Amino acid sequence: MNRVRLKVNGQEHEIEVESCTLLVHAIREDVGLTGTHVGCLTGDCGACTVLVDGASVKSCSVFAVSADGAEITTIEGLAGDEGLHPVQQAFWDEFAFQCGYCLPGMLLTTCELLDRDQDPDDAAIDQAINGNLCRCTGYASIRSAVRRAATRMAAGDPDALPESQRSESPSAEPPPSA
Amino acid sequence: MITKDFTYHAPTGLDGVVSVLAEAAGDAVVLGGGTMLIPDMTHGRTRADVVVDLSRAGLSGIAPGDGEVVVGATTTYADVLADDRAPALVPLLRVMAGGVTGGPQIRNKGTVGGSASYANPSSEVPACLVALGARMRLASASGTREVEALDFFTGAFATARRPDEVLAALVLPALTGTSVGYTKLKHAESSWPIATAACVPGPDGALRVALGAVAATPLLVTVDRPDAGVADPAWRAHVREVVDAAVTEPWSDVLADGEYRRRVAPVAAARSIARALETGGEEETP
Amino acid sequence: MTAVTSADVVVTGPAIGSSARKEGGDTLLTGRGRFVDDYTLPGMRYAAVVRSEVPHARILRVDVREAEQSPGVALVLTGESAAAHAGPIPHFIDPAARGGRYTDVRCLAVGKVVYAGQPVAAVVADTRRQAEAAAELVRVEYEPLPHVLDGDDALAADAPLLYEEWPDNVVLHNHYGTGDVDAALESADLVISDTIRIARSTTAPIEPRGYLASWDRLDETLTVYGSLQNPHQLRWMVANSLGLDETAIHVITARVGGSFGLKMQGHPEETLVCLLSKLTGAPVKWIEDRREAFMAGAREQVHRFTVGAMRDGRIVGIRDQIVANTGAVSAQAGWAMPNMSATTLASGYTVPNVQAELHVVVTNKPPLNAARGFGKDSAHFVMERVVDLVARGLGLDPAEVRRTNFIPAGQFPYRTATGLNIDSGDFPGLLDKALAALDYDALRKRQADLRTEGRHLGVGLAFELTPESADGPGSFVSGFDVTTVRMTMTGKVTVYTGVTTPGGGNDTGIAQIVSDELGVPMSWITVVQGDTERCPGGFGNFSGRGMVTGGGSAALAARDVRAKIATVGARMLAVPVDEVEVAHGYVRAVGDGRTVPIPEVAAAVVTRAFAIANEVEPVLEATRAYKPGNIDHVPDERGRIQPYPTYSSCLHAAVVEVDAETGQTKLLDFVMVHDCGTIINPALVEGQAYGAIVMGIGAGLTERLVHDAQGRLASDRFKSYLLPRAGDLPTIRLEHQVTPSPFTMYGNKGAGEAGVGGAQAAVANAIEDALAPFGVTVREVPLPPPAVLALIDEARTK
Repeated sequence: MNRVRLKVNGQEHEIEVESCTLLVHAIREDVGLTGTHVGCLTGDCGACTVLVDGASVKSCSVFAVSADGAEITTIEGLAGDEGLHPVQQAFWDEFAFQCGYCLPGMLLTTCELLDRDQDPDDAAIDQAINGNLCRCTGYASIRSAVRRAATRMAAGDPDALPESQRSESPSAEPPPSA
Repeated sequence: MITKDFTYHAPTGLDGVVSVLAEAAGDAVVLGGGTMLIPDMTHGRTRADVVVDLSRAGLSGIAPGDGEVVVGATTTYADVLADDRAPALVPLLRVMAGGVTGGPQIRNKGTVGGSASYANPSSEVPACLVALGARMRLASASGTREVEALDFFTGAFATARRPDEVLAALVLPALTGTSVGYTKLKHAESSWPIATAACVPGPDGALRVALGAVAATPLLVTVDRPDAGVADPAWRAHVREVVDAAVTEPWSDVLADGEYRRRVAPVAAARSIARALETGGEEETP
Repeated sequence: MTAVTSADVVVTGPAIGSSARKEGGDTLLTGRGRFVDDYTLPGMRYAAVVRSEVPHARILRVDVREAEQSPGVALVLTGESAAAHAGPIPHFIDPAARGGRYTDVRCLAVGKVVYAGQPVAAVVADTRRQAEAAAELVRVEYEPLPHVLDGDDALAADAPLLYEEWPDNVVLHNHYGTGDVDAALESADLVISDTIRIARSTTAPIEPRGYLASWDRLDETLTVYGSLQNPHQLRWMVANSLGLDETAIHVITARVGGSFGLKMQGHPEETLVCLLSKLTGAPVKWIEDRREAFMAGAREQVHRFTVGAMRDGRIVGIRDQIVANTGAVSAQAGWAMPNMSATTLASGYTVPNVQAELHVVVTNKPPLNAARGFGKDSAHFVMERVVDLVARGLGLDPAEVRRTNFIPAGQFPYRTATGLNIDSGDFPGLLDKALAALDYDALRKRQADLRTEGRHLGVGLAFELTPESADGPGSFVSGFDVTTVRMTMTGKVTVYTGVTTPGGGNDTGIAQIVSDELGVPMSWITVVQGDTERCPGGFGNFSGRGMVTGGGSAALAARDVRAKIATVGARMLAVPVDEVEVAHGYVRAVGDGRTVPIPEVAAAVVTRAFAIANEVEPVLEATRAYKPGNIDHVPDERGRIQPYPTYSSCLHAAVVEVDAETGQTKLLDFVMVHDCGTIINPALVEGQAYGAIVMGIGAGLTERLVHDAQGRLASDRFKSYLLPRAGDLPTIRLEHQVTPSPFTMYGNKGAGEAGVGGAQAAVANAIEDALAPFGVTVREVPLPPPAVLALIDEARTK
């Protein structure tokens, strides 16, 4: 067994894992956060996407031991006490999910994209979400949600802020970055 | 699920890597970005007693040198794309990396050296390295040697790397003022590449094209310049003839049989040449 | 009682018809949605399934000794030992009840295997890793038998027999349709005969199947959690196969990560996991892996048709011989899908003479499972190809041939030659809207211009008529459903319904209906689905029935509760009951605008039952069933029954450019004009339609399950079975037309089932159109680049 330290959504965890334990299983079973989903275990579907030190990875293709010391963001880490992250809000507003199984990957991939590119065009959006399969939506609403999140975050639109902060100044600090 | 546990090492330097490999005596696998190895282990296609993870070994980075560029084995596609010097130093790898299938998650983790070592006939890196005339720098406890890319890829999923060796770096000849062209054909975003062509004109103007995914290993051909333009039927026929002669045993898988690959390989070759000559290789391929 | 003035009442529009945001969306968005793999029970163990590696063989020996000694193993179960504890799995739709052949289906193979991938043994261990490690140690010795993978081959006289008690490999042989096709073909100006093959594809929801069963040894009860569509039918099925009372079984549907028919019950692992829990006395979880999920087929058919048409484009007769390869028999409903291919054949066209002959045959491939489209998709694919071939043969525009043959808008209800009684529609209207959206004439001109440059643009049209909300007599494919609406003493409302959601959002739609019918805000309403102990007996989701039957029954139940609220509220406002409105959480006196909040009325019903509420039975709860009209199981003079109350329709248009050097198809534009009658929630309907269209595009272009010569799956991951990704798709455009159904509660029709076959046909037609200069004829789907190049080659060598 290996002792592994992970900072998940800002919280320190120390877990014991076998060498062969995949990061996705460590997150789901040892850390206990089940919002990250398993869809294929081949690195194709993207439902297991998390951010490791700010970069999106498919956590089925990473050994938990390799992530020792890493900071990890999962779907559970996006919303703050004050409400949904603007990307989550945009996905809800645009009906950008149905069953929700692909959501962890779609949301975190979008967060990474918008961190890198505040005004992505359709090609950039497709390039970002091409690693994530969705079988329900046909992707149309997901593209719309990414655009909506980008527009709101870039414009400092109060709607882009977590719900509880919306009455405050629009120039309040930016939403928690993923 | 990986049903057999293993001993995990993540050495913090190349010396540590080669000494673990020497000790493991062939029972070790080398872990690069993990995007291909780990799913393979999960599905029982690869089993190992020892895993050597290169992620902490300091083997990443693009370093220009005297007439050459050294690309560390664990340089990821994302590293290539994020490097402002990449268009000048490694233009072909940059175009290729931008089109890697699987989304940013794969580009963030997948490594150039890992793809080369895995030698999947359907992967893009091997043919690019062959087109560039890269040398593969292999390290072991007994020293370092370099192997020409063309000699490195010995078969499907097989390379000249010995079990006690690790691919430490790729040494690329500097491409001063050369405009490269790259074409990838695949069925859809989900698909493995079905045929790739990387054109790197030589200093003498010869059009060297490496074809990927059409055979078990990359195929290198040299094509005449299209003096009457890339649409000239006679030149297209010449490309087809040259490529046909090279594709003796086409690769076949569930997505496309060898006959299809043989058909489209010359098309990919001609398009990569057109890009090298006309657009400087910047264009993304469909 | 606090009467408030109308100024305090927040009035919003009606919920029905609005794009109300998805119920519980925040739960999913924050990672708190509980899917089956997210459930953990104390002492839980894990199961792994040992599967046959051969397509057809006798099982000589199953050696479990080494597996039993493997670390953490609690039980290794073989088919023989399972059969001692579990009977056959009852069929969702018994072929024998449809005039076909029955065979026992067991949770683990007994005696012989009939497909590669069939469960042969199972292992229970403390961890999933231990279970899978031990499963690798189970040794099965087989005596191979000759096998057959192709449907036509399975019909040959000397074909290997899958089920030795049968005389041949035919599950069902049937004839459909009426009229004199021979005479019609004789009279036709154009007669075309050809063969069309629809390859095997699959549903591939992103969440595979999974079950967690927990046997309570003290109570002798079983609790089953699963990713399911039909919890009540599953309870019945498990009760049957394990010999338990239905009342001893509690089925709880976890959140479902997509299904598309796959998770209808009848899978061997359902019974198996329950049995493993019972035998080990521990909760047992099994989660399917992706390779296992790829075994489920969705469709595989060959159609040999002859069509006759007059010079003006009128289609006067069709004969179609269908061979549907259903793979091995399973207890799931997949085998029944080709029935609907035959029944739906002439679609929304006035073809007077139709004869379809169907052979549903078994082969040594894994079973077909129910899939979105349920066979209707294949009918649409074939019919839309037929219409294009007729247009081509006569030199007519394919749009106009469709218009010529459509059932005219004024002729509904319309009985088709195969017996379907189409409730309503305006098919020419759909076509007009689609052509306008495409700017069809300009597109044809652009196509001509591009052809002069050697570029190949193509336009493909496809109409789709989707019978929805099925009722199959004598089965649990039921055309009605049941809902309970319960109001608490604080006015909060819980809706318990027999329909379930695979993620599409019928819970939101049902809440919208209850909001309007009961007069309370959406935020007061909770919808509970999928729990056999909490919800009334119902039938889950399939056949676009969720809003028709779940919505209808919720409306009736909500109206009952509302009537009591109105009665008591009127009493509290001291006005006659016919002088109050109930809306937005208030009972309001129409005359002077005084209101009383519904929570106060609800409290009065229970706290002042013998005073203010004297005239009502003091229970704010109603359970109602809703049966739509237009279902008729009494055979007509030609023996036809009418199992569908309502029919949605849509028209698809695809624009592609084909690269004739590589065979690659680029989808440039896609339009769907959709008519599902009254729309309860436009955004949810559109979401379903987009998903179905893209599934059809995938099945038209790249999705194909490939088996090797030994029947083993060769396309076993998302890099060899190619689902569309965002970058493959243009912005799909969707337009609505609303032709209400006269036979459902709100005039609403099903949504979500339609889209697959039409999209598949539209892209195929577009490819043929693009390659018209070569004279290609599309005879199969999917059409990945090698298939497209082969079409060009074939046309060139003619």
